Amino acid sequence: MNGWITGLGTIAALELRQRVRSVAWLVLLIVVFVIVAIVTLLLWFSLSTFGDDSVDNAAIYSSIVFFVLLVGTLVTPAVSGGAINAERDAGTLATTQVTLVSAGQIVLGKFLAAWTIALTFLAASLPFIVLAVAIGGVPITTLLTSLAVLVVELGVVAAIGVGLSGLQTRALFSVVTTYLVVAALSIGTLIAFGLGGLASQSEVRSVYIGYTYDQSVELDPDTGLPEDPDDITCLEPEVTTYQAPRFDRVWWFLAANPYIVLADASPTTFDENGNPEDLFGGIGLGIRGAQLPPDLEQTYDECANAKANWRLVQDDYETPEEVYAKTVPSWFVGIVIHLVLAGLALWGAVARTRTPSKHLPKGSRVA
Amino acid sequence: MTQPPAIAVEGVARSFGSVHAVRDVTFEAHPGRVTALIGPNGSGKTTLLLMLASLLQPDRGTIRIQGHDPVTDPRAVRRVMGWMPDVLGSWATLTVRQTLETTARLYELDAAQARSRAAELIDLVGLEELADQPTRVLSRGQKQRLSLARALVHRPTVLLLDEPASGLDPAARIDLRVLVRRLAAEGASVLVSSHVLAELDEMADDAVYLDHGVTASRESVEASRSTVRDWRVRALDPAALAAALAELGIPTGGDDHLGTLVPVAGEQEAAAVLTRLTAHGVAISAFGPAVGDLEHTFLDLAKGGRS
Repeated sequence: MNGWITGLGTIAALELRQRVRSVAWLVLLIVVFVIVAIVTLLLWFSLSTFGDDSVDNAAIYSSIVFFVLLVGTLVTPAVSGGAINAERDAGTLATTQVTLVSAGQIVLGKFLAAWTIALTFLAASLPFIVLAVAIGGVPITTLLTSLAVLVVELGVVAAIGVGLSGLQTRALFSVVTTYLVVAALSIGTLIAFGLGGLASQSEVRSVYIGYTYDQSVELDPDTGLPEDPDDITCLEPEVTTYQAPRFDRVWWFLAANPYIVLADASPTTFDENGNPEDLFGGIGLGIRGAQLPPDLEQTYDECANAKANWRLVQDDYETPEEVYAKTVPSWFVGIVIHLVLAGLALWGAVARTRTPSKHLPKGSRVA
Repeated sequence: MTQPPAIAVEGVARSFGSVHAVRDVTFEAHPGRVTALIGPNGSGKTTLLLMLASLLQPDRGTIRIQGHDPVTDPRAVRRVMGWMPDVLGSWATLTVRQTLETTARLYELDAAQARSRAAELIDLVGLEELADQPTRVLSRGQKQRLSLARALVHRPTVLLLDEPASGLDPAARIDLRVLVRRLAAEGASVLVSSHVLAELDEMADDAVYLDHGVTASRESVEASRSTVRDWRVRALDPAALAAALAELGIPTGGDDHLGTLVPVAGEQEAAAVLTRLTAHGVAISAFGPAVGDLEHTFLDLAKGGRS
């Protein structure tokens, strides 16, 4: 086991040595630092013109964290995408494969190195996140959760990048495919969620029972209705049907969105009406609400209500806090989906890198 | 040969889709000996070496490296086998020293052992001056030497060298030959592939001929060895030589810039020709096969079609 770890470490160190010494890495790091700095400044000036209460500060914080995730997921494929196939092209993979390290050590070592490099980009944006926390009074638990999710998500992208570079022959293709996977998760899930919800619609049957009353009897001045409920006559129920989108069937699409994971994972605080107080909470509420199926049998019995002198409260309204409490934590579902994807990619790369190999990828040579 | 073979290959075949790179290869290589793997471009040498190096699975047949099967137990094979690929890849940003140390670490040497082994190898292949330069600045020949050093890191007893001399200058070739002979003398079994036959002639004890993915049988190799081949005779006075040949009734295969070619079958006949010419009073300054042993056999086998 110890030897296994040492081999893994040697591969990771080798990979880091090669990458970190490159000028490209340093340039990217500076670019990330500068861009996050500019975005932070812009957010600051644009949002603080509305006043400086905690909502704005939370919004600045949320926006910066989202932007860091965006930058991180854009940079990571570039640093992880060619890890295996570029080495195969250069002829250095085969010389590693004939040593005593296994395919698992090679792939995992490269993944660890790619993840580490991705985290250096996170580190470059950390000052601005901490700044937003310090000035905005964002709870420390929110900061810690955001960072944890960012670390995991960058790891997922790094794993997918390394995995695809093991599965595909050309370094360029695997980098592009990794970007496509990132795009599919970030934007594709939104589209799939929207279209999927609309495509699978259900019929809602809505029953409305109206009422009428004799105008000649004495009316209650408060309600404008007869004082005696027996003077109110119920009308025939009116039945209407319409189609409602079933977002509850496709909510997990949206759960797989890294931004949603990031937002939903942050512990949310609620005000006295049970509404979330920050941007992340609001986004989290949206995805939580989507889990609830629409009420397919709705009855609006206005007649009974009128007879009860409006004292019947049709209380099926739930506060966001109640919705939160009764729904599945979508960030957890999202993280599980991401980890499964990352695991599959790495597993595929290990299978493909194992030697002696049965199959060769088309147009490639092992040497 | 009392020792078991270091490399034993039997009936090995490997195809890539419709391309049959290796069709039927059977041979043995023994400890303490240098075996040449000879074949034209595209004859399947590299594919065969990849299978021996435990990187590629054969479709058929068996391979044993020091008794270990590279398919079922690649680790055991990798412990004893060093492979120098024909592609010269190196980690561009690492120095020569770091490259060798990293390779040693990958062969599970500890850090101190890796350091001392790297220093030893740098000295062995003569890269002292470039030891702390990144490998991307190396010339082709220098990369070749680094590649050889990398193959030797874990003191393998079976050494697979794929075109080791290509890109080397004459001095480096001699160094390579001396080194290969030394490794063999220390007990290693060395398999060297090349299509530069003269070079193999100088270092190989045995030869395996490969054409279109098939190894020539022992019998057909023996047969080609005894077929008629040209020997080159050079005399101080070419006119006297021509006259003597005509007088003795020895047929000639024409002249080239180095001398006169005389077709003879086998070494006995060659010795007889030489005796007769000297007895006739011709002052001979050089007498030897016009082409090397390996080249002759190789060309003869290729001419005779596949066996």
